[in-house]
Amino acid sequence: MSRRRRRFAAAVRGVTERLRRRVAAARRLRDRPERLVLPALAAASASLLLVVFYYPVATVFVDAVTVDGEVSLAPLVDVVSDPFYVGWLAEPGVPGLGELSGLGRFGFTAWQAALSTAASVALGLPGAWALARFEFRGRRTLRSLTILPFILPSMLVVVGFYAAFGADGTLNTLLGAVGLPTVDLLPSLSAVVVAHAFYNAPLVTRVVTAAYERVDAGAVETARALGASRRRAFLDVVVPQLLPAVLVGATLTFVFTFASFPIILALGGTRLATVEVLLFSAIRQLEYGEAAALAVLETGLSLLLTAAYLRYERQSQTERSAVRPLPRRELVPSAWRERATWTVRRLGSRAAVVGYGLIVICVFVGPLVSVVYESLVIDGRLTTTAYEFLLTRQQTGASFQVKPWPAVRNSVAFGVATLAVALPAGVAVSVATTGEGRWSRLVDLLSVAPFAVSGIVVGLGLLRGLVFGAVVFGYRVTVTGPVAITAAHAVGAYPFVVRNVAPALGELDDRLVESARSLGASRARALVDVELPLIWPGVLAGAAFAFAVSVGEFDATVVLAEGGGTYTMPVAVERYVGRRLGPATAMGTVLLLVTAVSFVVLDRVGGGGVGGFGSGGQRGSTGSGGRGSTGSDERSGDPDGNPGRGDQS
Amino acid sequence: MGTGAAAMLAGCQTQRVEESGGTETATQGTTTGTAAGGETLVVATYSSFVDAPSTSPGAWLKEQFESEFDATLVYQTPDSEINYYLERAIAGVDFEADAYVGLDTEKLLRVDGRRGEGEYTDRLFRSAAGVSGRETVKSGIEFDPEDRAVPFSTGYISLVWDATADDGAFTAPATFEELAQPETAGRLLAQNPASSTTGKAFMLHTVDQFGADGFLDYWDRLRENGVTVLGEWSDSYSAYSNGEAPMVVSYSTDQVFANRADQNLDRHQIRFLNDQAYANPEGAALFRETDTPALAEGFLSFLLEPEIQAGIARRNVTFPAIPDAPLSETYDEYAKEPPEPVTFSYQELEGRVGGWTDEWTRRFTEG
Repeated sequence: MSRRRRRFAAAVRGVTERLRRRVAAARRLRDRPERLVLPALAAASASLLLVVFYYPVATVFVDAVTVDGEVSLAPLVDVVSDPFYVGWLAEPGVPGLGELSGLGRFGFTAWQAALSTAASVALGLPGAWALARFEFRGRRTLRSLTILPFILPSMLVVVGFYAAFGADGTLNTLLGAVGLPTVDLLPSLSAVVVAHAFYNAPLVTRVVTAAYERVDAGAVETARALGASRRRAFLDVVVPQLLPAVLVGATLTFVFTFASFPIILALGGTRLATVEVLLFSAIRQLEYGEAAALAVLETGLSLLLTAAYLRYERQSQTERSAVRPLPRRELVPSAWRERATWTVRRLGSRAAVVGYGLIVICVFVGPLVSVVYESLVIDGRLTTTAYEFLLTRQQTGASFQVKPWPAVRNSVAFGVATLAVALPAGVAVSVATTGEGRWSRLVDLLSVAPFAVSGIVVGLGLLRGLVFGAVVFGYRVTVTGPVAITAAHAVGAYPFVVRNVAPALGELDDRLVESARSLGASRARALVDVELPLIWPGVLAGAAFAFAVSVGEFDATVVLAEGGGTYTMPVAVERYVGRRLGPATAMGTVLLLVTAVSFVVLDRVGGGGVGGFGSGGQRGSTGSGGRGSTGSDERSGDPDGNPGRGDQS
Repeated sequence: MGTGAAAMLAGCQTQRVEESGGTETATQGTTTGTAAGGETLVVATYSSFVDAPSTSPGAWLKEQFESEFDATLVYQTPDSEINYYLERAIAGVDFEADAYVGLDTEKLLRVDGRRGEGEYTDRLFRSAAGVSGRETVKSGIEFDPEDRAVPFSTGYISLVWDATADDGAFTAPATFEELAQPETAGRLLAQNPASSTTGKAFMLHTVDQFGADGFLDYWDRLRENGVTVLGEWSDSYSAYSNGEAPMVVSYSTDQVFANRADQNLDRHQIRFLNDQAYANPEGAALFRETDTPALAEGFLSFLLEPEIQAGIARRNVTFPAIPDAPLSETYDEYAKEPPEPVTFSYQELEGRVGGWTDEWTRRFTEG
């Protein structure tokens, strides 16, 4: 090749390079607003968190470190040196671990939370297995509804539990009918633990199902091809991918049940008083120093646990680029005559699902149906009185009374508005926290703090911080009404989005984003076009929780409403509590129906939306008819089934 | 609802702060409309006074008041009740309320106990000495030594029991002593004194009975006898309705509700232990900073009119505060009054009730 031609080629290369750079620059310029999307969202989320959470909570926490306006650790010291609260820790050298009373209220609170967590995980995991690994009619609807118990006002859970498991409850009626001795289950620590599992097992199920649906069938197939037994493949490939989700469920359950309070008082009684019960009493009696000290310690312990979990989550992340979910097997085999249907393993796993279904009917369906039953039956007679009450109240209620329809309307509106805020905020924060380093870890922890602070404290903080407002340049600025309520709901809701989205994002292969960005896509574009479609089940699970948090929220809603007509369904349930259970349970039934429909719609809309991202094959899990579309996969990669002999129809 | 929604959406408000440190009062979302002409009276109260699923006097009272006075009555029902206004006073933030309905001795003690904190230096309530008809109130239910709270009704906390339990063989014990006997083991539902009014009243009744030194020992016996102490009245009443136990600490007017709802009265029997019941009078008071003092005083004397007294009693299912309120015989038949009402005065509770509650909590939860 002549020198001249070489020179020419070099010149051409130079021109092309220059051109390419210019095009890239132009693209960057065009994309500038897009580039600002994520940082702007993250900044907006941070300010929201500051105004609606950190500042209000600080107005309460300050009482833990001040006495008469002077800085003092006395309130904290009083609590941590009181044997009533900390048990033997307050009396050095007396480690009487054997007895519960030696643990103090903090110890007891942790103990009941640990029991509740174990029960929730035990009850929730099989649910994730059944929902992720089996195909049956109504599976998707059932998955949408798993979250239902999570939003139920405690008053309804209490009614449901007494009606189902109480002395004259359904369970005892059934036992008596078949000649068995009746049982006295309420109130007790066991009842509290089961009720906590009622609330939180669905959380475990939902989070783990989303993770199960992200398990890559390819990895399982590879393990099996390399000679691993089904058990080995399951333990070495599937379990490590589920563990972070199980632990996030367990951590959240522990944090929530650590701060449990109405359930403890109603199903366990005052003898089982937790820290939160005592915190509530202290606030009611205006003993703010003690209340704040208890709140600070409670929050501190919860945050410590959360930090430990986050550390683990980061360490355990495994990167992967694409996910082909595990195929599901038919729960009810369509080919009864095939010999493959009748293997011991097959029958065993189906029997397990059916057995689990019976437990679910007892623990979850029982109390829920009891709520509906209580709204329809008085003294053994079927009656619509309670629903007539709702209608009458709707038609003739005074303007200052709580009416059913506005409550429904407000709940749904707040739920949707919360989604609109919490979903982008949660995703933006997830992106910000998936980076490496100390800072992102701190941001991560600060962003999940709303989990760790008791609702009572947030309520009081919102009253002091937002309703009373602050004086800025001679003006008193107050924040109340629907916007404030939505903001408060979003702050409570978005950590759920983060905890569902961030781990999934972290698992994605960095090269995916890098290659998208080298092709000129902004970070936001790469997120929307590449990452989110890949982790859609996680996003959807986060969205469901965000909606649930909003619908179930009570404290902030009543504080920020300031008498305006912004009451929601749980507020209405609370208002209708009286001597007779009818009105409250009827409103509770309405709440159940409205939220059930909302969750199904949310999942359908969200699931349908996935198709629009144009890479459907990789995520059969949320698309309709996962079975049909991934038919060929079913013959292989079944970690606990029969490789090569799926339940094809 | 168009303009209302727009107004509500404007959630962030600013108000010019006055020199004094307070704020100008502007009409906010809480004021749900003003009538043409006349003043507006803002009455703060607890939510079940205006919005209970059974009956509540709120709506009727507003109607009566507005027909008698050329004024509009507006209710405020903050979730934390009187604590809400106390918090506002401490933070130095003005409020619109002119009167508070639903004070009792303990709430008054709380109000007075916080004085001197933050911006809360002046009294929260003004004297009601000038309220006409003030003298008609039964002297036995007066509870404010400084004459700010005007009692407008009273209730008694007693046992409600189920005569159909044990196939009709069950009878509630007649005395505190019998209540702690093995025959009634596991048969009583009560409430936490720290979180419930009825629970607090029942605890105070035991303090009255056994003294400040002895009531905790009595509760030890109750605990060993399997008493179930739940958080709130509604929890324990729903447990009672579900047959969890045949006795519950509740109000002595229980049969009024049961009768109105055609329920079996055998399941709503009233027992006054030792022929006593703890009385919990309710009062109304005027906020010191009301901008309509004359109208507010008018409201208090209106509350004491015989017809209004009877109307409140019927709708709130309590007892009137004056001797000659015209109540029906049916009401008298089902609303039971104890032979001997028991109650602690403001002075007796001052500086003690908080300690008793704390001691109770510590003793009862440990172990």
